[in-house]
Amino acid sequence: MKKYFFLLFGLFFCVSAQAADNILNLYSWSDVIPQSVIQQFEKETGIKVHYSTYDRNEVLYAKLRANSRVGYDVIEPSSYFVDKMRKQGMLEALDKSKISNWHFLNPVLLNPPYDPKNIYSIPYFWGVTGMFVNTHYHPANSIKKWADLWSDKYKDQLLFLDDAREAFSVGLLSLGYKINDENPAHIQQAFLQLKKILPNVKVFSSDTTVSIMIDEDAALGLSWNCDAERAKRENPQISFVYPQEGFVIWVDSFAIAKDAPHKENAYQFLNFLLRPEIAKQASLYSTYATGNLAAQKLLPENIKNDPRIYPTAAYLRKGSFQTDPSEATLALYEKYWEELKMGG
Amino acid sequence: MKLKNISVASYLTLIYLFFYIPIGVLIIYSFNQAQYSLLWHGFSWRWYQELFADQSLWLAVWHSLVLGILSSSLATMVGLFAAVCLYRYRFFGRQLLYGVLFILILSPEIVMGIALLILFSLIKMPLGFISLLMAHTTFCIPFVAVTAYSRLVSVDKYIFEAAKDLGANDWMTLTSIILPLLWPALLAGWLLSFTLSIDDVMISYFVVGPEFEILPLKIYSMVRVGIKPEINALCTVLFFITLSCIVMYQLLLRKKT
Repeated sequence: MKKYFFLLFGLFFCVSAQAADNILNLYSWSDVIPQSVIQQFEKETGIKVHYSTYDRNEVLYAKLRANSRVGYDVIEPSSYFVDKMRKQGMLEALDKSKISNWHFLNPVLLNPPYDPKNIYSIPYFWGVTGMFVNTHYHPANSIKKWADLWSDKYKDQLLFLDDAREAFSVGLLSLGYKINDENPAHIQQAFLQLKKILPNVKVFSSDTTVSIMIDEDAALGLSWNCDAERAKRENPQISFVYPQEGFVIWVDSFAIAKDAPHKENAYQFLNFLLRPEIAKQASLYSTYATGNLAAQKLLPENIKNDPRIYPTAAYLRKGSFQTDPSEATLALYEKYWEELKMGG
Repeated sequence: MKLKNISVASYLTLIYLFFYIPIGVLIIYSFNQAQYSLLWHGFSWRWYQELFADQSLWLAVWHSLVLGILSSSLATMVGLFAAVCLYRYRFFGRQLLYGVLFILILSPEIVMGIALLILFSLIKMPLGFISLLMAHTTFCIPFVAVTAYSRLVSVDKYIFEAAKDLGANDWMTLTSIILPLLWPALLAGWLLSFTLSIDDVMISYFVVGPEFEILPLKIYSMVRVGIKPEINALCTVLFFITLSCIVMYQLLLRKKT
């Protein structure tokens, strides 16, 4: 009996003894930073990194909201969550003098409307929401605009992202409005427009989009550009299209939580992440486009010159960033989205 | 008679198919060459190689195992004493206390998760290993207490009186009568607790801290970017470990008899 007690105590201690003073608590989207990068940081600085992951912004937000002293240092909110969290005082204003590698960042991504002057966030990964088409079923140039997806010939063939924000952006853009339009009348028009596309939609998904594209469960539809690229590796027929009316540019940014217990280590880590060599490794691992211009130049030719991952300036001008909508607009989105999902 | 046999057999077959087809599919996919596709692209060991090279995943597995073993052991101890108290001592509110155990078993996990989170922030306890251990122990205790109690009730109560007659004190009664009689129930309670602890997502999400990531939360966070076949490989490994434990147990039991 005593033997077992000792065993349990042993287990208990070998876990609690791990606690070191010099640590950094990282909380990010899953599968964005490779283990090798973390190990290199630990080796160079002697700081122990505790790495945990989440699968949607809401999880991060709720966790910090419930208890701001929970202990996370570096976090990775996406565009409009940066907006939401900075407005609620959940982010630390960044001291740029401690981030000497700041100048490597791509100017296109700086000063976004969700965080003017980038006081709180470092744009790290980015991409766009566009359309994909499987050239086995339809020629690559058959869709050019969002509005083309409404055509009768695509009945029961579309993949639609299971995300109210993205869906309404498509509805608004196809009508010629801006994605952050909060006019209730315009949103209602977008809803009626989306209702008309329902017969074409074969599947709503945002978790298994890559497998749906590869296995040809949908011939065309909405897609993030990185997902279309991943799908292309296993099914070369997949082709990505930038819609002419415009599109959403999403950005995953790194930031420091307001009550971060290890702020100095957080700055060291952020500066380390911005090193071109490190940003390149992270981009290759996660398959997202890097926001670091110097890192982009280090990438293999076929990636850095691929306009589907790094769109040219002419294309980029049509993109826009999402900002955090008001409570009333959110409620409206939710109400219409439920109606749509129930079949209009 | 024969017809009845056939219907029983087909009924059982259906039930077992229903149980094991998903696991079979998971095992097959762990050998699929493709990363995202759900079609068959050829046999490969690739995901097993990646699995064994993935340190962060093994760290989460290790954390989950330690947490599971510690919390179920603690819960077994506390649960045993709770069951013994409820059985042996008559006091006011005994029935009520017994009923309260079931409330904990039946109440939704989200209630417990939020309640614990509020409690921990109220007493300013940092979230991490200790808070997880307390939470897991808490939700495991009622399961052990109930299994141990129902076993105790079926024991002939004169045994305890006889022990007292023969001069045994409480400690001796516990170690030489209650424990030997109860061990199958305790083992069952322990295993039940271990299983509950290993795959709990809901309560853990609320009380987990930055320094201690556990397996179910890690897998859960992968859903959006696509669960890698690596996870299928991990589940396959865990499944076969469980299977071999059961086979070994059966073999040992056979040897004894």
